[in-house]
Amino acid sequence: MRLKIAVLIAKFAALLSKRILRRSGETISGRVLLALYPRAITELSKNKKIICVSGTNGKTSTTKALVSIISSISKLGTVATSPSGSNLERGVAAALMQKSDFAVLEVDELHLSRVIEEAKPKVVLLLNLTRDQLHRMHEVKRVADRWAKSASAAPGTLFVGDVDDPFVAVALNSAAQSKRISFGGRKHQDGAVCPSCGKYLKWVRNNYKCPCGLTNSNPDEIFEAGSAAFRNATMANVVGKYLGAKPIAVDEKSLERSVDQIHKGVKANIRLTKNPASWTEALKSVTGDNAVLIVNAREVDGIDTSWLWDISFSGLSGKRVVVCGERALDIAYRLHVEGIEAEITSSFKDAISKFESGASVQVLAAYTAFHELVNS
Amino acid sequence: MSQIKIVRIHNELLGTYGDQGNAEVLAFRAKFHGITANIVDVTYNDDLPTNGDIYLLGGAEDAAQLLSLEALQRGDNLNILHLAIERGAVILAVCAGFQIIGNRFVANGQEVDGLGLLDVISVPGDKRFVGDIKTTSSILSFELTGFENHLGRTILGPTAQAFGKVITGHGNGDSNYDGAVNGNVFGTYMHGPILARNPEFADLLLTRATGRKYAQITDPLALKYATWRRKVI
Repeated sequence: MRLKIAVLIAKFAALLSKRILRRSGETISGRVLLALYPRAITELSKNKKIICVSGTNGKTSTTKALVSIISSISKLGTVATSPSGSNLERGVAAALMQKSDFAVLEVDELHLSRVIEEAKPKVVLLLNLTRDQLHRMHEVKRVADRWAKSASAAPGTLFVGDVDDPFVAVALNSAAQSKRISFGGRKHQDGAVCPSCGKYLKWVRNNYKCPCGLTNSNPDEIFEAGSAAFRNATMANVVGKYLGAKPIAVDEKSLERSVDQIHKGVKANIRLTKNPASWTEALKSVTGDNAVLIVNAREVDGIDTSWLWDISFSGLSGKRVVVCGERALDIAYRLHVEGIEAEITSSFKDAISKFESGASVQVLAAYTAFHELVNS
Repeated sequence: MSQIKIVRIHNELLGTYGDQGNAEVLAFRAKFHGITANIVDVTYNDDLPTNGDIYLLGGAEDAAQLLSLEALQRGDNLNILHLAIERGAVILAVCAGFQIIGNRFVANGQEVDGLGLLDVISVPGDKRFVGDIKTTSSILSFELTGFENHLGRTILGPTAQAFGKVITGHGNGDSNYDGAVNGNVFGTYMHGPILARNPEFADLLLTRATGRKYAQITDPLALKYATWRRKVI
């Protein structure tokens, strides 16, 4: 009975937040619920089939894709899911308050262990693990160790993931049930050390094989190589198929976390970029002549900007590049040393005003900048 | 000297915290002085070149740090570094790299002998130091800024001198000093990368490595960036 009351109060808090503060009200309900009923995630998960999605990049878009895949097999016709990007316990709790037979939850890498323990998911999809927000994660290996530990402690859960990423492979190897997917192998920026045994990891072109046994050469399913968006959609379909759903067509564009906006006649395609791996992927898509780069360094962006030096920006050479954001000078100097002279502006508005009406501009935006632009 | 060889040691292992940028900034600043810089990347299985002018080590996670140490103790590598120091070459080692070139450190709970190029020992603390750091150094006429992200505490022996006096941040652990220096061997906890945040320090290293004094560089963007960081930290 107490849980029901807690849910009612949490929903009421969300309503107040929406009406009075004009916020989405989604995370406040999760916060209130967990404060009133700390075991809410465990209790609310009992009558649902739970799917968790985690990884450094692609969580939000893959979660959305999985919701649309799963909705075809939901008997209630609704799939509970996390509010966009809200991937800590409060977001999970908020999602689980929805009435449904399935729940697809986006979960932060460091918070996955607790969610697995409490929600006892049927499937966990692990997308990738690369350096990100090191002020918070500290080390990539630290996150990988947590994943492996939770995988070994969850014998009832199927772990699906991309074994071309050695950190994902370690987690899958620790699981009692796993589906190891490969896209034919690819290089990994943090792949020099075997995350399983600590030895120097032997790579032959895009594939690795360690004497300790860690390798991507024996997958359960193999697909053709593709963009990060393609890989994530493909893995979402593998999870869907396991649960009895029909696959959806892979629409890379819709999985890219990008939006089109028009600002004073300038056509802006705004794409989320947040760490070396996502920047590298996003830079490949900058095919036009104009680019705006927005760099911030708030908590979720990563408060240290050293990682800008892990990225090669040479693809921007010859293009018109305008930078802005709180750390515009950091990115401007990084580009300067690589031989690319950017125009420094004080705001996105100023950056866009540098272009003629009718021009097309590709905007790569830090996490906080992306959300401000999309929600404005 | 119109050519300079910058040796970036084990970037695949010691490149997790952005310190690879130090080599790029050195090469970039060298150009202003009319020096052609050649960046040589040495990986785990390679031998160190004997004729480097500046040797760079960066920050790493524990397992990678131990592998780098093992590779530098292999074959003639350590001897090459000793000879380099004798002939006046520069070594700049950051974070895990700083610990590697010291006498002893702890990684993955294992206490190991370092390369002994700087008279320091490092041990893990109980709290990780993560945040902006600013120091002053008696060998530099400007403040240094950077970002620290480490659990290690470093204690200096009698032949090492502290590199910087901490204004903001923690440094070696007592919040008094950061890093260590002995001649042309520099160790620090500062990422950023340190030479990107403090391009004048790159000029000092180039001067030390070549034995020449250079005219001051005019690079307004570099100055603006460095000055801004010094003001806000």
